Amino acid sequence: MKAVCWMGKSNVETLTVKDPELLNPHDAIIKITRTAICGSDLHLYDGFIPTMESGDILGHEFMGIVEEVGKEVTNLRRGDRVVVPFTIACGNCLFCRKKLWSACDNSNPNAHLMEAAYGYSGSGLFGYSHMMGGYAGGQAQYARVPFANVGPLKIESNLPDEKVLFLSDIFPTGYMAAENAQIQPGDTVAVWGCGPVGQFAIASAFMLGAARVIAIDRLPERLALARGLGAITVDYSEEDVSVLTALKDLTGGVGPDGCIDAVGLEAHSAQLQGTYDKIKVALLMETDRSSVLRQAIQAIRKGGTLSIPGVYGGLLDKVPFGAAFGKGITMKMGQTNMHNYMKPLLERIENGQIDPSYIISHRITLDQAPEMYKVWRDKKENVTKIVIDPWAETAA
Amino acid sequence: MSPALNEKPHAEAPPAMGPAGMIVDGRYLPPPEDKDGKLWVRTSTLIQAAPQDLYAMWRNVETAPNWQEQITKVVMTGERTSHWVMDSDGKTIEWDSEVLADEPGRRIAWRSIGGDSNNAGEVIFEEAPGGRGTTVTVLQEFRMGKLASAWETFVGRNPKQAVIENLRHFKALAETGEIPRIQRQPHGDRGLIGKMKSSSYGEKIPTPSGSN
Ligand SMILES: NC(=O)c1ccc[n+]([C@@H]2O[C@H](COP(=O)([O-])OP(=O)(O)OC[C@H]3O[C@@H](n4cnc5c(N)ncnc54)[C@H](O)[C@@H]3O)[C@@H](O)[C@H]2O)c1
Ligand SMILES: [Zn+2]
Ligand SMILES: [Zn+2]
Repeated sequence: MKAVCWMGKSNVETLTVKDPELLNPHDAIIKITRTAICGSDLHLYDGFIPTMESGDILGHEFMGIVEEVGKEVTNLRRGDRVVVPFTIACGNCLFCRKKLWSACDNSNPNAHLMEAAYGYSGSGLFGYSHMMGGYAGGQAQYARVPFANVGPLKIESNLPDEKVLFLSDIFPTGYMAAENAQIQPGDTVAVWGCGPVGQFAIASAFMLGAARVIAIDRLPERLALARGLGAITVDYSEEDVSVLTALKDLTGGVGPDGCIDAVGLEAHSAQLQGTYDKIKVALLMETDRSSVLRQAIQAIRKGGTLSIPGVYGGLLDKVPFGAAFGKGITMKMGQTNMHNYMKPLLERIENGQIDPSYIISHRITLDQAPEMYKVWRDKKENVTKIVIDPWAETAA
Repeated sequence: MSPALNEKPHAEAPPAMGPAGMIVDGRYLPPPEDKDGKLWVRTSTLIQAAPQDLYAMWRNVETAPNWQEQITKVVMTGERTSHWVMDSDGKTIEWDSEVLADEPGRRIAWRSIGGDSNNAGEVIFEEAPGGRGTTVTVLQEFRMGKLASAWETFVGRNPKQAVIENLRHFKALAETGEIPRIQRQPHGDRGLIGKMKSSSYGEKIPTPSGSN
């Protein structure tokens, strides 16, 4: 089959590899009909996440048709149409029973690598480094899905792939981000980053009762999408714009009740701080660029809740912890507990409350993926979301 | 009980003694120190299953190859004795083992009795506080003999880590009926450096079958 492989920093190739096979009794093989490139893939592309190896198959947002199931998979059959969550969960450990699916004890074959770095290991993820399980990803024609009895969501309606594909990650991720912001009706919520995760965080904040959402980014096409959802936008790159002042101004001097960092460790910064982080990262004195996190801690109101869906991987520098303590804020974060959200969010799509496909800007083939990784990283061509048809020979 | 605090709605009586010397007179004690060529490893895990079932799974040593890395064959040679065969990168290592203590549903202790390995250990199964499943604690001691050094040289796995990984496999098998694995999945060309790293990325030591 064809698959998009990580071959080193800033180097992705579409290669022919062998087809996946069933390896465990709860596995399924999925013939992938649609897959996508995520903002998280950029952290791999840019070399921020350790334990990637050349040849690793990328991709964790995919859906398709069940091709084959292992002998213990009783709820799926060949021919079923499914969306696959990017976190792999066993369903039986203490954490799965507590519905903390992304903390599953039993899905990471390389748990010792993550234990060494983080104290304990989280669940395995598709296509996201050996530390996170080393599973082959879904930017391919087929994928092996472990614990297929627990994860994949069956799509029984005839909604097109593009409307349900994002249940594999970014819609639930944006939703959990809003839930983690502990929104009360009437709250004002600020969202940093208007990429796909930010978009769904904005939409979900409204669903959960926010009176006002303020969206922060610099890319005009993304800010326009945010305004389309009903948010007020702030372009942080504009001269004379201070995000802190803007958020104070727009909240009557109180500050946002909830703040959502939907940017993560590759935050871009126009100011000196950005240069500072770049140098420190280059010198290996910090591993992550944390300008958005710093800003959000500073901006949030007293007693507010900071939700962090944006990914961080290692050590952060100059995080104003005194401000966090001084204002008594709450912070919630982590990989999305996917399995809690897929079904209820599918219902919202089926009811016509939201059509997640509005963020798609590019539809490509697997062979185009390597060049599109670059476009996606550099935010060229007004890119907002790239969807891949793994069976198409020519671009749509 | 101290009269200073009388409201403890969910507290359970603290054990005076814990498994494998972990609690003595209510105080936590670290695992024994490595010395005189003897290495110790103590590790524990929480499993969502009954102590009796986990005990039975462990005691049935002939199924150990299903969840212990590189153990290819175990045969009972008596009520309390068994013969173990391990295959490490084409080298075969064999030893005999005997059960020293057998408390059904609670504890098993063993030691090797000749052959290529010099080890002893115990496993304790107890209900976790708060009804959260069974805590399984393993205390294992061994000498850096043929077995342990074979691990290190051939597969790049520190023998202490092997004990930890085996308990992890045991838990996964008990909770889910399988052991998570990635060997034999597709990938592109690993290149030279990638091949060198295969042991740290879990691609060199065969993951035990997990089948019962
Ligand atoms: N928690 C999870 O489970 C989970 C799941 C999916 C994605 N993520 C993470 O969410 C983050 C966003 O993902 P995405 O797909 O939307 O990525 P993306 O790269 O498309 O979007 C990031 C956006 O942040 C903007 N940005 C950069 N610096 C900024 C700054 N200083 N202030 C405001 N905006 C800034 C960029 O212009 C861009 O629009 C990533 O870190 C990704 O890894 C987390
Ligand atoms: Zn993603
Ligand atoms: Zn689990």
